[in-house]
Amino acid sequence: MSFSAIVMFIFAVVVLYGGLYVTVSKATKSNKEKK
Amino acid sequence: MGKRDRWGNRAAFILAAIGSAAGLGNVWRFPYMAYSNGGGAFLIPYFVALLTAGIPLIILEFSLGQKQQLGAAASMGKIKKKFEPFGWWTIISAFIIVSYYSGVMGWAWDYLVGSFTVAWQDIGSSDYFFGNILQLSSGPGELGGFSYPVLAGVILTWILIYFILRKGTESVSKVVWFTVLSPIILLIILIFRSATLPGAIAGINYYLQPDFSRLLDYHVWIDAYSQVFFTLSLGMGIMIAYASYMPEDSDVVNNALITVFANSGVSFMSGFAVFGTLGYMAQTQGIPISEVATGGVGLAFVVYPEAINMLPGGNMVIGLFGIIFFLTLLTLGIDSAFSLVESIVAGVVDKWQLNKQKVTLWVIIVLGIFSLLFATKGGLYWLDIVDYYINHYGLILGGLLEALVIGWYYKPETLRNYFNPISEYKIGSWWDFMIKYITPTVLAFLFLYNFYGNITEPYGGYALKFQWLGGWGMLIAMIIIVFVLGSMKDNVADSLDESSRL
Repeated sequence: MSFSAIVMFIFAVVVLYGGLYVTVSKATKSNKEKK
Repeated sequence: MGKRDRWGNRAAFILAAIGSAAGLGNVWRFPYMAYSNGGGAFLIPYFVALLTAGIPLIILEFSLGQKQQLGAAASMGKIKKKFEPFGWWTIISAFIIVSYYSGVMGWAWDYLVGSFTVAWQDIGSSDYFFGNILQLSSGPGELGGFSYPVLAGVILTWILIYFILRKGTESVSKVVWFTVLSPIILLIILIFRSATLPGAIAGINYYLQPDFSRLLDYHVWIDAYSQVFFTLSLGMGIMIAYASYMPEDSDVVNNALITVFANSGVSFMSGFAVFGTLGYMAQTQGIPISEVATGGVGLAFVVYPEAINMLPGGNMVIGLFGIIFFLTLLTLGIDSAFSLVESIVAGVVDKWQLNKQKVTLWVIIVLGIFSLLFATKGGLYWLDIVDYYINHYGLILGGLLEALVIGWYYKPETLRNYFNPISEYKIGSWWDFMIKYITPTVLAFLFLYNFYGNITEPYGGYALKFQWLGGWGMLIAMIIIVFVLGSMKDNVADSLDESSRL
């Protein structure tokens, strides 16, 4: 794979799955606090 | 008014929303869209479109449904009775989409069964699809009776949808754990298998290799906005109906963000399964990837089966790969399909305060009858025409009307003042700006751009009478139907009209 393709891969992974991780963590934490 | 249906918990709602958004398009539309629009560079306009249109609109739909505690039509009618037809527009769009979506699900069932014997192996996947499965007629003017394999698949789909929706959110809350999580696991299996094939890395490189010069081409931006709009199940009344089953004080913003990230995450990972396999196919045949790269129906039912036909390891491996792939499509598709039905059911139940179980049954029966058109031998032509017009005009107009009503009549800050105090993330006034100016501008541009394109060059080369019957005529009929439905006496909207309070 070319260097630029790897950079785009990392970019997408950080934004999408990083974003998913942060938002789900926030929801989980908030749910625990409510309980 | 009876007690409103409720999701089992927050996770069930989020999973149902993700399940609705993540459908067949995530596998067959996004990867090809990225590949043909600058590869990895496409992610930039895609993320911009998510931020300026996708996320603002999904927050709008979630907050509107949750605040009003009603489906799309009644939610709009509650703002002002005159706006109720706009809500019906999204519901009728859902009606049309699910009637042909069940046809596509029917094909996937046939392929799933066919995978056990690799039924397309001897005659090739193209002949198998058009000959054995569709038994395609000569054109839309010749329906040619039913294709029984498709008919069987369609009936199976409707039975399944009925049993999933039979007990409303109670049964859906359980089913979504399977229909949302299993395709992700299946996709991971597909990715691992395809990534280890010779040529796979080259295929994935084509998928991700950025060509930043393409960002100067406005078509790439149009495709990014279209993709974002279609992929999030917007403009179909689904997200409004689903959110209306949440308690009024539930989070809005974070639920919307989770749905968006998860849905785009499924799209992105699908590209690895698709392009890994296509890369292997290109290498095996000694042809460039551009000759095998495709999207839509052609990818799922012709190219992909042909690609897995070439897998090493014999029929057992090919069959197993086929089963996993078509199970992925079916599990991705079924929750999108039943969410469309739920949008219609919510519209009818909220308007006339009818028994939800009975409405669900009757809606499915009526939909089942409509979907018979797409189980005929000429069904593919009609599916193609109807799909094009409903996606390019029906959905875009639905989203545009929502943004205009909230942006210019209801005022975005009214909704923002509702959802910010109850949400885990607070949204600033940029959201108001997006809903008021950016989202409607983009959607209006897409609408006019499509319209201009179709005036200068009719879609698909079909005869004008078929374009009128399945395209323009359908849209005109929709306009009449939504105004008739909106003007019909109901048991809720009149008394709840908020206009007097504004």
